[in-house]
Amino acid sequence: MRTRLIVLVAVAGVAAAGLLLPVMTAQAPGYRAPRVADGRPDLNGIWQALNTAEWNVEPHAAGPSVVRELGALSAVPAGLGVVVGDEIPYRPEALAQRDENRANRLELDPAIKCYLPGVPRGMYMPFPYQIIQSQDHIMMVHEFAGAIRTVYMVDQVEAPADSWMGWSNGRWDGDTLVIETTGFLGTTWFDRSGNFHSDALRVVERITPRSPDTLLYEATIEDPNVFTRPWTMRMPLYRRVEEGAEILEFRCIEFVEDLVYGHLAKQPGR
Amino acid sequence: MRTKLACVAVIGILFAVVPVWAHHAFSAEFDVERPLTLKGKLVKWEMINPHSWFHIDIEDAQGAVVTWMIEGGSPNELIRNGVTKNTLAIGTELTIEGYHAKDGTPKGVGRNFLLADGERLFLGGSAKQLPGLTGAR
Repeated sequence: MRTRLIVLVAVAGVAAAGLLLPVMTAQAPGYRAPRVADGRPDLNGIWQALNTAEWNVEPHAAGPSVVRELGALSAVPAGLGVVVGDEIPYRPEALAQRDENRANRLELDPAIKCYLPGVPRGMYMPFPYQIIQSQDHIMMVHEFAGAIRTVYMVDQVEAPADSWMGWSNGRWDGDTLVIETTGFLGTTWFDRSGNFHSDALRVVERITPRSPDTLLYEATIEDPNVFTRPWTMRMPLYRRVEEGAEILEFRCIEFVEDLVYGHLAKQPGR
Repeated sequence: MRTKLACVAVIGILFAVVPVWAHHAFSAEFDVERPLTLKGKLVKWEMINPHSWFHIDIEDAQGAVVTWMIEGGSPNELIRNGVTKNTLAIGTELTIEGYHAKDGTPKGVGRNFLLADGERLFLGGSAKQLPGLTGAR
């Protein structure tokens, strides 16, 4: 009788654990990526996000374009958002600044003028980027404006100068690449909707292979000047699998020359 | 044979090494005949391309304070010379060794900064064009 009770309890325990297990390991991928020579997962390839975070990282409905003539083609597509918990935890005065940014985004969004997109916006713009992986350095080469990120896996130092793309130091946590980026100028936006940060920004990214052609990407944003606590964006990244896929040129500085410098021309508009 | 040699010579001249700093001439903006040595306090500095700018409060002979703008190298050049964004705190007392601007304003190009502890920082930039005066020594 006692043995039966013990077996019953044991079976109940296993069943309960079985129910709990999927919840606890929901984020643990069962996938094991191919390895590169040093035994680390192979992240080499051309990758791109497939969501509307570039327009607004928070959940948002579709909306009209700020450029009337482009009509439906530059209207804002809807998005379920990539912010974990949906809402960015702004400080009250920073939220007011975000709303002012948003109201004046046509004048203020730095990406319009081909300024470098920063981190993590460069990872979810509608442009591909190539990850080139070696043991000591991992590079990301973006199509947008030819922006480049160097992730230092060795010889790690603090940012010697502030920049648009920041200074990235990386390490491996199992099969996850963890990148810590600081040394930002504070001049980039997170999206086209005015979501912003200061020069105190620190971004911690986690990139984990989840299938042969997808990565799980998370970026945790810390900036005590702007936010009341750290917050995280999460999204899959997709491999560009077509044959011959490559990063093409998008030298946008030339495209915006008239927009940025036209007022200095001897005969403006010519 | 002579034509061949002439061709090689012409091509050689075309590919002659152009000084990497020839994007603008030192002498167009600054006066090598008017060196300056000024002592003052750093109030602001911009670590930017193509040239960094250091804003330094200098007290003149009458005791009035004038803020000078001193040009240095690009961020990459400064970093290669050991100067990072953390090297010079605002308020640092330093001596500027450089040359006056030709336009008569309180502006100059910096060759070195001499710090209170005797350390000399080479600023790179336009000062690299000065013959025999490159480097911190």
